[in-house]
Amino acid sequence: MAPRDADAGRGARRIRAPRFTMALPAWIWFVFFFTLPVLWIVYYSFGYKPDLYHPIATDKLSLAAYKEAFSSAFLHVFSQTLQISILGTTLCLLIGFPFAYWLATRVAPRWRGLLLGLVIVPFFVNFLVRTIGWFILLSPNGPVSSLLQRWGIRSEPLHLLETRGAVQLGVVYNYLALMILPLFVTLDRLDPAMREASKDLGAGRWKTFRQVTLPLAAPGIVAGLLLVFIPLTGDYITALVLGGAKGNMAGVMVASQFTLAQDWALGAAQAVILVAMILGTVAVFALIAVAVRAIARASRRITLPAIAEGTA
Amino acid sequence: MSANAAPARRHRRDLVDVALRVWGVLVYAFLFLPILVIVAYSFNNGRAMLVWSGVGLDGYRTGITDPTIQDAVKTSIVAATGTALIATVLGSFAGIALARRKGKWTVLFLALVFLVLVTPEIVDAIALLIWYVRLGGPFGPKASIPAVSYGMIRLWAGHSLFATAVVTLIVRARLQGLDETLEEAAADLYAPPARRFRQITLPLMFPAVLAGALLAFALSLDDTIISSFVSVAGASPWPVYVFSAVRNVLRPEIASVSTLLLMVTLIAIASVAIALRRGGQTGEDVAKTMTVGG
Repeated sequence: MAPRDADAGRGARRIRAPRFTMALPAWIWFVFFFTLPVLWIVYYSFGYKPDLYHPIATDKLSLAAYKEAFSSAFLHVFSQTLQISILGTTLCLLIGFPFAYWLATRVAPRWRGLLLGLVIVPFFVNFLVRTIGWFILLSPNGPVSSLLQRWGIRSEPLHLLETRGAVQLGVVYNYLALMILPLFVTLDRLDPAMREASKDLGAGRWKTFRQVTLPLAAPGIVAGLLLVFIPLTGDYITALVLGGAKGNMAGVMVASQFTLAQDWALGAAQAVILVAMILGTVAVFALIAVAVRAIARASRRITLPAIAEGTA
Repeated sequence: MSANAAPARRHRRDLVDVALRVWGVLVYAFLFLPILVIVAYSFNNGRAMLVWSGVGLDGYRTGITDPTIQDAVKTSIVAATGTALIATVLGSFAGIALARRKGKWTVLFLALVFLVLVTPEIVDAIALLIWYVRLGGPFGPKASIPAVSYGMIRLWAGHSLFATAVVTLIVRARLQGLDETLEEAAADLYAPPARRFRQITLPLMFPAVLAGALLAFALSLDDTIISSFVSVAGASPWPVYVFSAVRNVLRPEIASVSTLLLMVTLIAIASVAIALRRGGQTGEDVAKTMTVGG
């Protein structure tokens, strides 16, 4: 902020470039390949589909596409998407937290690097191929199904594909690492002395976890929740491969307006609603989190007697 | 932590330790299960991936010799290399500017980076497709750039958006975590800006740049959604090939080629890790550099 630039002293003679100069190439890149195309989509969302052979017309602008996008059939897909993504994000946290905690506090530092690396190895396999792995596992003539039949546990093939459960499993799998990595980073930076101090002050394990570890890990939890929730809600591949008609998600619906139905106005409106839904949900949960923290702080406030400060 | 805890507490701790360890093993099993399935099915000798018809190397033979698959993998690698270059250069400079040249512009720029990161890829994909079609020129079939197809240019631009945003944030985080005094000291010792950058700033931010470049490369290789919308025949990368197979028929060579690609990736990652380790980083440092940017 302050003029701490090293050349400030000598630089009085020369003309200084504006401070954002080095960011300018990236800025231009983003505006040209992101902002303008996305604004174009927003513009198209006010258009309409004139006839069978043209995907879009914008000679008169209206909210007709939005009205259609909010009709019951599409609304159902949006609400299902939100349910899948909120449950999926929660599951990622519940699975990822104990795992990251174990990795950061119980594994010897010597092994930590290797084990952390192992977490991301599955993600060197293409997203789509990983999902195909689950497709094989869950398919009626896949290994799980045939083993269950051979052992006589089931008399008929499993029908797990093309269900909402399959999509739920697939998204938790595909985004779990995005939860584990930020959680690991914060838990790893956490000084063990903090937990030991809590113990020495008489707190039990659960109390230490709740009042020391968890609050200190909060930034990592928030980062993980965002990193998982945002791409998960917009996911397209997982639902397409595992979901079928019953496990439909908003991303698939948007894509099909461009690949199959050729109704760009409707697809654009659905895309805008999808983005709004993601930002809206993040905002609502952020408000809730702030409120909860304020209440927790207020209820836990303690006033130290002056003498304690003197002896500390 | 402490070996001299009271026996009763130690017993309980052991229970929690065991539970955590079991959980760790279960999570690894979950993470590797579909990968092992892919590796196993890469040795399926049948014509359809899902119908098991004996162990063999047919999938590998077909996968290596099929010219369409060769082209797809080549396209993927060229696309990822270009993406990594673009994203590393643009993102590193933006990251330096964000960390060292703060001003009113930072909020605006970070908001744009944030928007790039939160926009679902499917939205980017359709927006880019329509944009490219409208623009034409180097992004359309009438492009006349020697040696590079317009499909590749579309892929580079599309893949580099998210990757640039990621590199920007990684480099910014790294530089913000480092004290500026080293650079100031260099300036006090009369190092000109270019030299200061080369001898002080660049080595300091190198782990972040390397992590960013690797991540950008990986993101591009993994990208399916943008690729499947903007790519054109003749320059369609490997995920797009797999994508069309999902819609038609899944063959074992998809699993075989995926297994080979995984092996190549692991060898590449291992050699970078060994190089970093020779450079004096510990195993944990290396893993952190490559997973979370140092």
